[in-house]
Amino acid sequence: MTVTHIPPLPVRDKAAGRALSPMLTRLAEERATGVLVREHGVLHLAEGRVVHAESPCSPGLGVLLTAHGTLATAAWQQAAAHTTSPPRAAELLLESGLLPVGALELCHLDALYDAGYFALAPSSTPGRFRYDHTPRPGPLPSVPVVALERETLRRRLLLHRLWPDPAADSAPLIRADPPAPAPLTPRQRAVLDRVDGVRTATGIALDLGRQAFHTLVDVRRLAAAGRLAAAPGAVPDPVPPYPPPVADPDIALLKRLRDALEAL
Amino acid sequence: MPGIDECLLEAMRLPGARGAALVDWTSGLALGTVGEAPGGDHETTAAEAAELARMAAEHGAFALHGDGADDGRPPVEDMIVSNRDSYHLLRFLDTSFDSTVFLHLWLGREDGNLALARIRLGEMAARLVLG
Repeated sequence: MTVTHIPPLPVRDKAAGRALSPMLTRLAEERATGVLVREHGVLHLAEGRVVHAESPCSPGLGVLLTAHGTLATAAWQQAAAHTTSPPRAAELLLESGLLPVGALELCHLDALYDAGYFALAPSSTPGRFRYDHTPRPGPLPSVPVVALERETLRRRLLLHRLWPDPAADSAPLIRADPPAPAPLTPRQRAVLDRVDGVRTATGIALDLGRQAFHTLVDVRRLAAAGRLAAAPGAVPDPVPPYPPPVADPDIALLKRLRDALEAL
Repeated sequence: MPGIDECLLEAMRLPGARGAALVDWTSGLALGTVGEAPGGDHETTAAEAAELARMAAEHGAFALHGDGADDGRPPVEDMIVSNRDSYHLLRFLDTSFDSTVFLHLWLGREDGNLALARIRLGEMAARLVLG
């Protein structure tokens, strides 16, 4: 039997790897406008700033606003039906004066950072960027790419410090009974009450109309306290990947290729 | 109706105001900042203030024990930290949607009027989310 020497795979320089997505950093530098589709979510960029984010792992603005009756579900559906995308629906609500400006801005930022956390999660497939003139800076606050990346890294570190095992983040959850349980906070009790062997943290967040990251914080704390665990043998809920845009020339890739050729 | 920035700028018009921020106490994220931050860094200040706010919001010692204890609203209205040269006033927002947010006002002790600031910050917090 011959033993072939396999050269080690190139490893990215750790210090340079601070940016969560090199593609996103480049898009911010060129002040790009369009939609970045990643495995666990999408980011809408307008002139290099994040104006909107969506992820199947986190409740959207509509859920946050309607879950506790801040906005009537019918009013959200009406706004969504009259517009082409959730950010436009939010702008319509802003113009309509149905909601206090502060409440809408707050929920918009909550939903953006929440979805952004998942959209920037490590992925197994490369992201794709579609240059598109739809996203535009609107009256609702936008966030610089670096701010979203920094916050996402900070949130990862925060969860890691609470309980280093991410198993409970995406799997169905079961209750556990520690011998001497520590007292629960009201927000933790709400989470634990919904642990039924089927729901994942995302499912609980949707049910509570609560940010998914906020739910993860309590899930990790409850896991650390021995009150819940990932269901044994459960295959972590595969996150439904975002459908990549079809029949669309991969302009981002072509641009990179052009840049690389020009650099030769 | 004020947005986040207008609310923070209004807080800065209070006598002795040095800096203000809107902070999420679960994540430690500053959703808006204006003016100075103690130590010069709003991000660090927000994360540290969030720790303190979380303790007050979650620990049983500061919870309500009578009627309305389980209505899901924040039990604590505000917190005051005074040091030898300034006050820190933290006002929890009572929102109709699920949130864990507070306003943080940093006030110089020499020019600040704590009683006035406490009343006004409460009004601003209500206007921000209720219109």
